[in-house]
Amino acid sequence: MGAEVPPSRPAGRPNPALLGAWTLAAAALAGWAFVAGFGGFLDQAVAPFGTYDIAVTARQWSWSFTYPNGWTADTLHVPLDRPVRLTLASEDVMHGLSVPALRLSEAIVPGRAGEAWFEADVADTFELRSDIYSGDGYSGMRTALIAESPAAFDAWLTRVSDIFSGRTDVEVGELLYNRKGCVACHSLDGTKRVGPSFLDAYGHEVETRDGGRVLADDAYIRESILEPNAVIVAGYEPVMTPYAGQITDREIAAVTAWLKTLSGHGGAEAAAVPDTTGADAGQKETE
Amino acid sequence: MSGGSGAPDAGYLGGSAAPGGWLGTRDHKRIAVLFLGWSLGVFLLGIVYAVIMKLRAQSGIIDTHTYHQMLTQHGVLMVFLYVVPAIPSILGHFVLPLQLGAANMAMPGFSLWSFRFYALGTLCFLVSLFFGPTAAGWTFLTPFALTGEGAFMLMAAGLCLAALGWLVTGLNIIVTVHTRRDSGVGFFAMPLFSWGIYLAGYLLAAVGSLFAIIIVYLALSRAYAGGIFGPQSDPLLWQHYFWFVTTPAAYFALLPAVGVIGDMVAGIARKGFTGYRVTVGAMIALLGLSFTTWGLRMLGTGLSEDLGVVFAVLNLATAVPVALIAYCWLATLHRGAVLCGAPTTFVVAFLLQAGIGVAMGLCLGSLAAGRYLANTLFVTAQSHYLMMGGVMTALLAGLHWWWPKLTGRMYRQGLGRFAAGLYLVGLNLAFVPQILQGLAGVPRGVYTLPAELAGSELVSLTGVWIMITGLVLVASNLFGSLFDGPAAPANPWGAATLEWQAESPPPAGNFAAPPRAAADPYVG
Ligand code: HEC
Repeated sequence: MGAEVPPSRPAGRPNPALLGAWTLAAAALAGWAFVAGFGGFLDQAVAPFGTYDIAVTARQWSWSFTYPNGWTADTLHVPLDRPVRLTLASEDVMHGLSVPALRLSEAIVPGRAGEAWFEADVADTFELRSDIYSGDGYSGMRTALIAESPAAFDAWLTRVSDIFSGRTDVEVGELLYNRKGCVACHSLDGTKRVGPSFLDAYGHEVETRDGGRVLADDAYIRESILEPNAVIVAGYEPVMTPYAGQITDREIAAVTAWLKTLSGHGGAEAAAVPDTTGADAGQKETE
Repeated sequence: MSGGSGAPDAGYLGGSAAPGGWLGTRDHKRIAVLFLGWSLGVFLLGIVYAVIMKLRAQSGIIDTHTYHQMLTQHGVLMVFLYVVPAIPSILGHFVLPLQLGAANMAMPGFSLWSFRFYALGTLCFLVSLFFGPTAAGWTFLTPFALTGEGAFMLMAAGLCLAALGWLVTGLNIIVTVHTRRDSGVGFFAMPLFSWGIYLAGYLLAAVGSLFAIIIVYLALSRAYAGGIFGPQSDPLLWQHYFWFVTTPAAYFALLPAVGVIGDMVAGIARKGFTGYRVTVGAMIALLGLSFTTWGLRMLGTGLSEDLGVVFAVLNLATAVPVALIAYCWLATLHRGAVLCGAPTTFVVAFLLQAGIGVAMGLCLGSLAAGRYLANTLFVTAQSHYLMMGGVMTALLAGLHWWWPKLTGRMYRQGLGRFAAGLYLVGLNLAFVPQILQGLAGVPRGVYTLPAELAGSELVSLTGVWIMITGLVLVASNLFGSLFDGPAAPANPWGAATLEWQAESPPPAGNFAAPPRAAADPYVG
């Protein structure tokens, strides 16, 4: 090869009509791509009124979903044919909420409140997973999105969020201790935190700040939870949040039942004693 | 400078032809050869990582953690240390001065240092692997990248050095174009390859300096748990900086590729280039747009809707310059006396692969679809179509085009065409399954692929092996020619650009007799 190759010949100029038509066609294609995607994009951006709101929390490497009644689950159940709005939060690094079947993909940025919405129109179970790399557990960071009829959804939520179903009162009491945040101020091993320890609390004789003594019986426990500032324990500040309106009678009974199991003065013994100790306390007060 | 002191056909490759030997050389051609050898090593390593990762689906040879480490290394190697700098470093250094009718780059010391920065940077990166490979992901998303094991500082130092290499290369290119053009070569009469390299020079300089800075800031933020990208800062800040820098980086890989194909299209059609000024204008437009489209990467991160629309429009606007360039290529090929050799097959492969990549880019630019696909394997496939199908194919095309000039040897045309065909088939088999997986919503970087993808993964793996076979044939053909290839004439393709007026291979000072430049670079 080489020597025999003929020299290049000059080129013509581009045909303006063809070039113009070709470029217009490309621009039209791009324009079409824009228009095709614009509607869907705006739709996704703004949630309609009347959404059902669920709070999503992502962390390395699991999900939790909190429903309007405060119930938290690790799968996402949603009612059919109703727009669902997810508020997104991350506890650590970036994650992504992705449900391909519902064309949903939204980054969850730590320190920023994100939002996404969708409406499921077939009853089915979809995969929900993270689509932003977050470390070793990333591949396994997935769970189920279960779309079901509104009736089935309501039935599910009532069943799971009934804290008493399948639990004894004592178990419920312990659960509430953790869930309602008592754990932050009350220890179970006798150490003093912001508030007195729950160890041996039930049935013991409480020294109050103004020098009195009260027996920690059912009524006292109830009052201490609903209106903690009515009687202040000696050596503590009146800083406990009143739980009135945030806890049911049945739940208080459960907490009380559980407190009894933590106490040497608890159970039947304590129930039998009140009269005498009550009298003692009364006596001391008068002395 | 005398051209013939070594063996008559050894040119610049001959032992005594250039002062400084090889490692201290300031001859642009030797620098190009050094870049070629070194980046070949980087590429091989990147491919080994890719194959091992691909095999995980079949045999589980690596665990999740190793997989994420390898994915990070693969990305860093291929993107920052290979595909992005390859064409400007290898072909740019070799061809640019020749095309301009110059004896060397304007700043030969810069040439040498651009290679040294690159080599040192790569070494730093490799050494960091021994101290502990990072698994932060090649995009280093904060705050995740601020934690976790790995010799991050050393790796960042390596990338910083490599980026300084880009800066030095870029400055050298710009100055060379402005000061070393032969008196006959007008600014608007430079071959398109020179234009591509020249425009990439600005990107190399800008992106090189920015990238060097942000990667160091990131490493410091990590080391001292504070600072601009530290745990207290908004995680999106890093992403804006990162994509602002790396989106144009993709263009400084693509613009030279466009230049390579431009020269080759005219060369293989043995015609002048139809629409030279249109193409140059379109390339300049692409350069400008490259800095304005980074936000598309961040559609799902709470970017405001208005910004989303702006980024989408700017991104789709690239369709116009791309269409103009494609038109000019096709018009030039039209009724050309098309040369039937290996370079032609590579050009055709490029047109097909880059075409698919651009079409996929259109999908990503369409807001709703782009948002859905942004974190899926669709994006992985698209960037591989642009980088492997576009840039890598253009590099291979250019290597086959300029190989006779580079080495003074002719390789086998038939084998070259066959290898190009295998590469093309393998690439598509490897990445079409990924497109489909992406459309089905499979996110990128997951270790465990859904069971129903086993079949398509097997197809993809087969494609990878075919592609590798093609590349092995390319290498054996080209390197084999050094031993048994016939000597190349000065101008085997009958092309008109100035580099073909020099001997093959050119002597140290390039031109024995002053080159004669015509008014039209493609018509001699
Ligand atoms: C913000 C911290 C805080 C939280 C949360 C808190 N408490 Fe208290 N609690 C205190 C303090 C301080 C006292 C002692 C002062 C007082 O009597 O108000 C106390 C006293 C009590 C007492 C009386 C204890 C005794 O030994 O006499 C009971 C019973 C009690 N809390 C139950 C609860 C229950 C049940 C919860 C969760 C539903 C709860 N507390 C949550 C701070 C807290």
